[in-house]
Amino acid sequence: MGWVKSPIHKRAHQNKRYNTATMLQFKLVLLGDSSVGKSSIVHRFVKDSFDEFRESTIGAAFLSQTIKLEKHPDVTIKFEIWDTAGQERYKSLAPMYYRNANAALIVYDVTQPGSLVKAQSWVEELKNKVGDQDLVICLAGNKVDICDEDATAREVQREDAQLYAQEQGLLFYETSAKTGAGVSAIFQEIGERVYQKKGMEVPSSTQARKPLNVELQRPSTNDSTSCCS
Amino acid sequence: MMGAERRTSMAERRPSTLNQSSFSMERRASSVVVPHLAGIEDPLPDTTPDKVDVVVVGTGLVESILAAALAWQGSNVLHIDSNSYYGDTSATLTIDQLKQWVQDVNQGSLKCYENAKLHISSVVGRGSYKSRDFGIDLSPKILFAKSDLLSILLKSRVHQYLEFQSLSSFHTYENDSFERLTNTKQEIFTNPSLPLMTKRSLMKFIKFVLDWENQQEVWASYRDKPITSFLVNKFKLERAQVYELIFSIGLCYNIDVKTPEALQRIRRYLTSFDVYGPFPVLYSKYGGPGELSQGFCRSAAVAGATYKLNETLVSYDPESKTAIFGDGSRVTVTEKVVAAPTQCPKNSRNVPEQMFEVQRLTCVVDKPCLEWFGEGEYAAVVVFPPGSLKSGNRQAVQALIMGAGSDVCPAGSSVWYLTSTESGPRGEMDLDAAFGALEESIIRESSADIENDSGILEVDTSGHFTLNSVKLGQSFKEHISGESIQVLVKLYYKQLTSTPPFEVVDPSIFDVNDPADGVHKKLIPGASDNGVLYTALPSAEISYDEAVTAARVLFQRIVGSDDDFFDLDFEDEDDTDQMNESAVVDDEDDRMDIGLNAEMSVEPVEFAGEMEI
Repeated sequence: MGWVKSPIHKRAHQNKRYNTATMLQFKLVLLGDSSVGKSSIVHRFVKDSFDEFRESTIGAAFLSQTIKLEKHPDVTIKFEIWDTAGQERYKSLAPMYYRNANAALIVYDVTQPGSLVKAQSWVEELKNKVGDQDLVICLAGNKVDICDEDATAREVQREDAQLYAQEQGLLFYETSAKTGAGVSAIFQEIGERVYQKKGMEVPSSTQARKPLNVELQRPSTNDSTSCCS
Repeated sequence: MMGAERRTSMAERRPSTLNQSSFSMERRASSVVVPHLAGIEDPLPDTTPDKVDVVVVGTGLVESILAAALAWQGSNVLHIDSNSYYGDTSATLTIDQLKQWVQDVNQGSLKCYENAKLHISSVVGRGSYKSRDFGIDLSPKILFAKSDLLSILLKSRVHQYLEFQSLSSFHTYENDSFERLTNTKQEIFTNPSLPLMTKRSLMKFIKFVLDWENQQEVWASYRDKPITSFLVNKFKLERAQVYELIFSIGLCYNIDVKTPEALQRIRRYLTSFDVYGPFPVLYSKYGGPGELSQGFCRSAAVAGATYKLNETLVSYDPESKTAIFGDGSRVTVTEKVVAAPTQCPKNSRNVPEQMFEVQRLTCVVDKPCLEWFGEGEYAAVVVFPPGSLKSGNRQAVQALIMGAGSDVCPAGSSVWYLTSTESGPRGEMDLDAAFGALEESIIRESSADIENDSGILEVDTSGHFTLNSVKLGQSFKEHISGESIQVLVKLYYKQLTSTPPFEVVDPSIFDVNDPADGVHKKLIPGASDNGVLYTALPSAEISYDEAVTAARVLFQRIVGSDDDFFDLDFEDEDDTDQMNESAVVDDEDDRMDIGLNAEMSVEPVEFAGEMEI
């Protein structure tokens, strides 16, 4: 029949354009109990990177933050960071939240007893919800600044968390959203790992599923290349 | 009460905005709303709020749109759902969830549904097919490219949580075969089977219908008459074209539809065509309204709404303005409690009457059904006009076919959603007849691969289920001479609604027994739900058209005006950024503009040009 292909069907060819520099987009989800500082870590990350990289933006849908990989300067990673928006409080995260996640940052509070156990249950939850074996998971013990000031405040020992992370094959960091310690290292490391797992198979899963999708921001009638009317 | 003072919106409450002294004046002028990010600008409270503006019960699509609209407007919203999943009547369910749902319906614990029957093949849940490989919509819907919901998806940026795909294939079933819709000027001209006279008449009609509201002189005398008489008398159209226009393009349910309503629906299709490409309709991947509900709920949460699944409303007292919940917690409600009829409290006495039936048959079959889809697409609509089925159907049966590429079912299979507005046993007969016709057709069209079908279907334990599964398999075989398709899942159910087919929600159902409300009715003694505002359940409408209207009417009821209904605009550059990425292609675009929508203007969109990295 005379069906003319729409622009969306051509997207498959667009990757040619990425030859010289690689820009990869990944979805990163935050998990962990309320008030462990999930949002603060992201806030710190976005804020600190802000001046460094102009593309940093805050959108209502999720946070977008672009970084260059230190080990691969030609590779730019755009994180699409999904915050729980409080929906984790009553275990009310939707399947949509986990879908197609490439990475997860699971946060606990080093000053909260039992907070690592809760983080572990989030790891389990995540593994149940996301089928992707290539998911990069990072465990982060937040609020180390409190321990720096008062060593007795620490309730979760670094060694315990590290051991658990090793067993589960998770990345592990201790961080302080307040001072910024460890925060940018986390995203560099996650970016590096995701790139190693996904970047080689460009177009990555996030890119590959796009070709057939319709971009709602782009009605074809507004397309300057439309010929006649 | 109407005319309540307008609350400050989320943007005005932001700390960053508050620092600027003249925000209130600026706001009206610029109407730029900066996104508030829950948990980032202010830490979230640790406890359940003890005082909220609005409690919303049920996370169906209308309730979710409403919750997001209210949250962004500045209302403090507590949104609960008695289920462990989002979506309520709009939910997208896995097989395990579906089994539970059928059980709940048949035990009478799910209001507004009746007579659910579920057959699940023994191959599902073991090995090859996992429960979560399926996403079954309870109210499947398609999204017209030019529609109020689409505008709101963009405005609220909820579209960024979702993935959309196109649907261009609309088939009409006539004389035991499918006719592919001739729906563009291009096709009308090139279709060799259309006589010249018919082509001219069709072109004339299409030109008219795009601007029908301004041409009263043409249709005024047909205001209360069926569309058929109008099309035949005024435009000399043949039966085949009339049927296509009414049933496939207009997606009407019966031949008696009145002229203005049908014209409105025919135009809906034509103006949506070519907004995003040569197709009128989109759908969201992974599930329809269930996905959209999740998206709007997330948006509401970002704007500060509190979410609690597995929570029920026990009662609401409009005098003390106290709502009590299943876990024993209670909250003071400054404005309203809004509830889906499906989640009304025990001892409720104020649920509006649900007098209209929607009958559905949803099947997952082990055929990809690519034959029915447009190129590079994974969905199609098949319409069975009245009288086209062996059952002698009086109402049209509409079928939405979703392929595995839409990620609602495993590779190699497809989901068939059949819907009828016919009531009683006739409805089920029509659905069965339509299923049979689809089955015959796909076997004929894909006859190459005859599969050895064991036909063993497992009966679900929920009772109320009559069909013998082995017999079902046998009858298929007799029916189509040895060939059959394997049905992985087959689900019948009846849903009740207060919204008649074709119409949007009737605002009078929102007149509630609330002493604070303008409408004075007597409180019903002993009722647990005096003063509760009940939403309307989804109707049989295949599009999303009713959802936004229903949410907007409720919003107006609560806030006093709909001025702030999704009155938001984000100031960041993210859009431009996104645009850059998606604008990469197209420069050698050979798509032809078929000129059906000259007057089209959708959302304001800046074209951003080439991407640079």
